[in-house]
Amino acid sequence: MSDEADRVRDEFLAESQEIVESLSRDLLLLDHGQKHGRADPDLVNSVFRGVHTLKGIAGMFGYRELSETAHVLEDLLDHLRLGRVALAQSSLDVLFEGVEVLQRLLGAIRGESHEVDLASFRRGASGLVGQSAAPAADPLAAYDLDPSMLGVLTEYEEHRLRTNAEQRVPLYRVRVRFALSSIDTDLDALKARLKPAAEILTYLPSVEGSGDDAIELEVLLASSTPLAELRVLVGDSPVEPIPMREGPSRTMPPPPLGASPTGTIAGSIAPVLSRAPVSDEGRELVPSRDAGAEAIAVRAVAKTVRVDIAKLDHLMNVIGELGIVRSAVGRVLDRLGARADLRPISSELHRIHRSFERHLEALQDGVLDVRMVPLGQTFDRLARAVRQVAREHDKEVRLVVNGGDTEIDKLIVEELIDPMLHLIRNAVGHGIESREQRARMGKDPTGIIALNAYQKGNHVVIEVEDDGAGIDPQRVLARAVERHLVDLGAARELDDQAIKQLVFLPGFSTADQVTDLSGRGVGLDVVRTNIGRLGGVIDLHSTTGIGTKFTLTLPITLAILSALVMRVGSHTFAIPLTVVQEALFLEPRSIRVVDGRELITLRGQSLPVVRLTELFRLGEPTRQRGYVVVTSLGQRRLGIVVDALEGQQDIVTKPLGPSLQNVRGFAGATDLGDQRVVLVLDAPALLDEVLSSDPRVSAGAA
Amino acid sequence: MTERSSPQSLAVPGKAALAAPPPASLQPARGASEATREYLVFEVAGDRMALPLGAVKEILKLSPITAVPRAAHDVLGILSVRGRITTVLCLRARLALPPPEVSTRSARILLVDRGTEIIGVRVDAVSEVLRLRPSEIEAADVIGAGLAEHVTGIGRPGGQQGQVVVLLDPVALLR
Repeated sequence: MSDEADRVRDEFLAESQEIVESLSRDLLLLDHGQKHGRADPDLVNSVFRGVHTLKGIAGMFGYRELSETAHVLEDLLDHLRLGRVALAQSSLDVLFEGVEVLQRLLGAIRGESHEVDLASFRRGASGLVGQSAAPAADPLAAYDLDPSMLGVLTEYEEHRLRTNAEQRVPLYRVRVRFALSSIDTDLDALKARLKPAAEILTYLPSVEGSGDDAIELEVLLASSTPLAELRVLVGDSPVEPIPMREGPSRTMPPPPLGASPTGTIAGSIAPVLSRAPVSDEGRELVPSRDAGAEAIAVRAVAKTVRVDIAKLDHLMNVIGELGIVRSAVGRVLDRLGARADLRPISSELHRIHRSFERHLEALQDGVLDVRMVPLGQTFDRLARAVRQVAREHDKEVRLVVNGGDTEIDKLIVEELIDPMLHLIRNAVGHGIESREQRARMGKDPTGIIALNAYQKGNHVVIEVEDDGAGIDPQRVLARAVERHLVDLGAARELDDQAIKQLVFLPGFSTADQVTDLSGRGVGLDVVRTNIGRLGGVIDLHSTTGIGTKFTLTLPITLAILSALVMRVGSHTFAIPLTVVQEALFLEPRSIRVVDGRELITLRGQSLPVVRLTELFRLGEPTRQRGYVVVTSLGQRRLGIVVDALEGQQDIVTKPLGPSLQNVRGFAGATDLGDQRVVLVLDAPALLDEVLSSDPRVSAGAA
Repeated sequence: MTERSSPQSLAVPGKAALAAPPPASLQPARGASEATREYLVFEVAGDRMALPLGAVKEILKLSPITAVPRAAHDVLGILSVRGRITTVLCLRARLALPPPEVSTRSARILLVDRGTEIIGVRVDAVSEVLRLRPSEIEAADVIGAGLAEHVTGIGRPGGQQGQVVVLLDPVALLR
C-alpha cells in the first residue's frame, strides 16, 4: 500500500522534474533570444504548455503549493504570450525565479528540506501582470486584411499578427490542399518546412477547395524571406503577398476587431482569408496549433520508458551472476578439453560458450548504455544558476558549453549537480571580477565561464573554467596559516601550485565576506569529498589575472569495472583499473624514506608508496619483493605495494552492508566467481587518506 | 520489546533450510491451546541461547568468509549470499566470550534480520527449535537488573527441571 503510494509519488516527481528541466532549458533559449532581439514565440508557448501540464498533475496529486505556483506562472506566461506583458530581462527574471520555486517545491516534496520563498516570486509575477502594457496604436491598419478574418483569430494569434505587423514583416496568404486522410502529417511537414523561413500566424479552412476527401486551408504567413524562396518551400500551392497600404492609411483609425467590414477600400483588393461560414464538422478536422504540438509531444513520450535505476542495478547484478556462470562453464570446458575421447563434445560446447560470451557482452553493453545520459541536462541547470548568480552579483557572465553530449552514468549525474553548482557559484562570485575591475585590466567586461566535457578512456573529464582573477597564492597561504591548516615552516617549502591545492582542505574559505550565494559554509573540501565518493577527483589550475580551471575526472559508470586483482599475504583485493596507471616490480633497494614516508622514484618523479599490509594492519610480515601498483587520480599518484598480481577481471561492485559503512578504504566487494568474495579498494579514499595525512606530501605530488 | 516478534514468529510452518528438523517431542501435543512462541536454540561457548525463529531467515553451513580489515573486532568478514554481500559477526566476540579453539564442523551461520539489514551470525552449533509457553518464560523485566539489554528473558522449558535458554533480542543484539 505505502509502497504503491511511494511509487506513484516517485513517478510524479520524476515527471515533474523532467518538465521543470525542460522549462529551464526553454527559458535559457528565450533569454538568449531576447538578448539578441529574436525571441522565438514558440518557446513561450512551450514553457506555457509545460507549466500548464505541471499545474495539472500537481493538482491531481494534491500538491497544492506546487499547483498554485504553476498557476501563477501560467498566468504570467499567458500575459507574455498575448503580448500584454513585454518579454524583457525583468520578466525573464520572474520566470526564472518561478522555475526555481517549482524546483524547490519539488525538493521539499522529495523530503530535502528547502526553504521555499513563494512570496517574492508571487510579488514579482503579480507586479508584472498588474502593469500590463496598454495596447499601442494598431499596426494592423497598415495591411489590407479581411476584418472578418480578424474576428475569428484567437487572442494569441492576434498578438502574433500584431507583433509581426509592428515590425512591418510582409504577410502572405497561401492556399494549401490536404487529403483528409493525411492532413495531420502533411500539415506538420508543412509547418516544419516553413518554420525557419516564416511564421504561420493562423490557418482556416476555406470553403471552395474542400471536398469529401480533401480540405483546403488558407494559411496566413509572416515572413521576411523573399517571395521566390517562399514559393519553393511551400511547393505547388499558390502564395499571394498581402499588399501593404501606403503612408496615410497607417494613421487611419483601426477597424474594431470582429466588426463588420467598414475600413476596407472596397473592391481594390481581393479580401484576404475571406472566411465563409464553416460548419462545425469542418472545423474539427483542422488540428489547432497547440493540439498538433501536443500530439508530437505525446508521440515522443510514448517511445521512451522511465525506469527506476534500481531495476537497472538488479539487471547488472544478474549479468554479474551470468558472468560467474560463464567462468564456471569455462572451467568445466578446461576439464573436458583434457579428455581426448570427449573432443567432439568439448569443441561443440566451446563454440556455444563463445557465443554465450558474445551475447553476454552485448547484454552488458546494452544495460550500461541505458544508464548513460548526456551531461547536457546537467549543464542546462547550471546555465540557469550562472545567469541567476551573475545577476545577483551584478556581473556580466557568458557561459560557453562544450561537449554537452558526453554521456555518463545517470547515478553519477545525479550526484554531480551539487558539486558543480558550488564550482559555478565560486567561479561567478569569486572568480569573475566586477565590470569596472575587468575594464581597468583591459579585459572584456563580460566574463566567460566555460563548461567543457569530454571522454578520456574510461573517464569523463569535466572542466569548469573562468577567465577571472585567478587564485592568489599569497592570500591562500596567509589564510591557511591563519587557520592553522599548515604551519609556517612547511608553508615555506610549498610552491605556488601546491599552495593553491590548500583550498581543498577542510576549514578553508577564501571569501572574505560570506555571501548568500558562494559561501554557505560549505567549502571546496566538501566538493572534493563528494567527487571522491563517485570515484573521481578534482584538480585545480589557476593563473593570477588569467583565470581558474577546475578539472573533474569521473568514471563513466559505477556499475561494472575492469579491475586488477592482487594479493597481500592471504588477502585478496581488487582495484578498479580505471585508476591504475601501471604495475611495476618493486626493487626493495629503490625505496627511500623521507619524513617517515616511503618514496620511490618513477621516471624522475617521486612517488609515495604505501604497503597494504601496514595500512590495513594485516599483521603479516612485509615481504621484501613485491609489486607497486601505481594509482593515479587526476594529478595525484600513489604506489600501492602488494605481494602478487593475479590478473584482470570484470567486476560488479556491490555495496557493503550498513554495518560496515564506517569502514574506510573499501568501495564494496565483488564475487570473483570461484566462491571468492574480495574487497574492492576505494582508490580515491585511500589516496586522500594517505596523501592528505601530510599536506606537504599531498601538495608535492601534484 | 518481547512483543516485537511475536505475531510473525507464530507463522513459520514451512521453514526451509533448517539444519535439524525439530525434535518430535516438540510437535504440538500438550498445551497447544496456550499461545506458544518458537525459538531457534543454538550453542555459544557452551551456553544455550535462542533467537525468535521469525528473525532467523536462513541457516548456512560455514563457508569461506572474507576478512574485512579495519572492521570492528566482532566482524568475522563478508560472505556472498546469492549475490548479496552479507556481513558476518562472531557471536562469541559480540558477547565477549572466549574465541573458539578451532572451527568445528557443527558451526553454522544464522542469517538474522536486524531490521535494517540481514546479518550473518556465527554460532558454534544449532540445537533445536523450541516452543515456549508464556509460563515457561521469565521476562527480563521480572528478573530485574543485571541482564544485558539484548537479553529478553530466560526460557525454562518444562518448568524448573529443564535446561535454561537465554532468549536474545535480535535488534538489540546486532545494533
